[in-house]
Amino acid sequence: MTPAIRTSGLVKDYGRVRALHGLDLEVSTGEVFGFLGPNGAGKSTTIRLLLDLLRPTAGTVEVLGEAPAVGGPALRARLGYLPGELALPPRTTAGEYLRHLAALRGGRGTARIGELAERFALDLSRDLRALSKGNKQKVGLVQAFMHAPELLVLDEPTSGLDPLLQHEFRRLAQEAAADGATIFLSSHVLQEVEQVAGRVAIIRAGVVVDVDDVATLRRRAGQRVLLQLDAAVDATALHRMAGVTDVVVDGTTVTCLLHGEPTELLRWAAPHRVVRWQAEDRELEDLFMDFYRTVPADGAAGPADAPTAATAGHGAAKGGVR
Amino acid sequence: MSALTELRAGTTTAPAGTVLRGVLHEQRRTVVLWALALCGVGSMYTAFYPSVGGAKMDVMLEAMPPELITAMGFEAIATAGGYVQSTVYQLLGAILVLVCAIGLGGRLVAGAEEDGVLELEIAAPVSRTTVYLERLAALWLVALVLVAALTAALTALTSVMGMDVAITGLLAGSLGLWLFGGALGTLAFALGAATGRRGYAVGTAAAVATLSYVLAYLGPLVEGAAWMEQLSPYHWYVGGDPLTDGVAWGGYGLLLALAVVAAVAGGLAFRRRDIMV
Repeated sequence: MTPAIRTSGLVKDYGRVRALHGLDLEVSTGEVFGFLGPNGAGKSTTIRLLLDLLRPTAGTVEVLGEAPAVGGPALRARLGYLPGELALPPRTTAGEYLRHLAALRGGRGTARIGELAERFALDLSRDLRALSKGNKQKVGLVQAFMHAPELLVLDEPTSGLDPLLQHEFRRLAQEAAADGATIFLSSHVLQEVEQVAGRVAIIRAGVVVDVDDVATLRRRAGQRVLLQLDAAVDATALHRMAGVTDVVVDGTTVTCLLHGEPTELLRWAAPHRVVRWQAEDRELEDLFMDFYRTVPADGAAGPADAPTAATAGHGAAKGGVR
Repeated sequence: MSALTELRAGTTTAPAGTVLRGVLHEQRRTVVLWALALCGVGSMYTAFYPSVGGAKMDVMLEAMPPELITAMGFEAIATAGGYVQSTVYQLLGAILVLVCAIGLGGRLVAGAEEDGVLELEIAAPVSRTTVYLERLAALWLVALVLVAALTAALTALTSVMGMDVAITGLLAGSLGLWLFGGALGTLAFALGAATGRRGYAVGTAAAVATLSYVLAYLGPLVEGAAWMEQLSPYHWYVGGDPLTDGVAWGGYGLLLALAVVAAVAGGLAFRRRDIMV
């Protein structure tokens, strides 16, 4: 079966700056695929190459079996696209603009505008200029989904949406996937894609550094665990424990990274009196740090721990929203 | 499920004219305002004719140094047709049409791209060539609306005032104005489409327009510099005194050629380059 998206050795230069350094990617038909990476990693560049907005410097791109430049309008008729930075024209209402975009598809999708707008509580009579960021994003989502495309390419689809609408987006994506559509969505936050995506590719500095299913990735990302006990303890057992790394003992407080099940760690803690227990999912940024940490032993108590304080706070805030 | 499958059957691309309709809808208010401004200024100058024209103008011209008369293009100003050409077609009308056409030319591709609003259109099932040609057509249509409105206003006014201006003269001047504005607007449009930089496109086209005005007026004043005006699109437009002598096909042909060359070069570059970088 032809993959929905295939890139091989894809290189893109902007003048002298190389944005993509030989990107290899394969997304199967019918798959919901997450494309993760920090800002500036080349996510939007890759996506714009898929839409034929950009032309590759070297390497190949294939979308639904065709090079975007060769497929042209007939190929783009089968795609739905949500730009990462959506800009909407002034002096037009949301409804007029959506009908115009449907007209560019030969009228396909017009019939679903009303229904989709209702799902996202989007007022079609509002002037586009007066819309908030979240409402603009709704317009973007409606135009991407309205014609039921075979392949949806969504660049940061949930940015600016509140949790309720993020949920509505996930439902819409799942419905499209159930109907056989392939969904390719980018994000810089793992949480945003893990509930919809089956597989995830991680891009860093213009190359795909890892492709995995979400569960594996989540396991690899692990959790940062903090245990505060009532008395100083001997933590040597932790250093040998499977799935536990980066153990730091500071008086009565023990912190470590946990990958996989927490059973062993809980057993070790159980005989002690535990004053405080905290376990947080790690941020994607930490995962990227892992990809750069070639010798794990060096990182145990070294500089890799420096960003912990900042990311822990950030993670807690994110956890509250979920 | 069946509804969606049905929806997905067959590929549908944009029918001809969809991009054009979108642009015209977007620009409708701007066009009306420009047309009103152009008609207002044109009518105002023409309405002054009885108080400054004819014999009074001859007296004034006698007091002016001949170089100034040449520089201002006032050689034929004493006749009604010459007056309308000198004040409306050569000066304010030309300036207004140029400002509108060059500004719009810069906005239609480069401006839309810089604002990010071109992205969804380029990503839609419509070819870059179609986007380019229909947006260019919008430019020429807008210029046509402006010039047609001006022509209608001037035709009505000159006949009401009993001025001796032939309708064929007005039409010849208006055709020239349309081609002049269209050609320099196309230059801005093509430069913008080729580079994606609106400021550069508008700046360059405005510089060409200014240079063409300077060349047209310096040419006759500087000895042995007749070549200057031959290079000037402004001279191509007004050099043949269209309101008095009718259409100057050579000059108008050159304006059209300028537009075609710029449009083709810009279109080729636009098809090839990266959008939104």
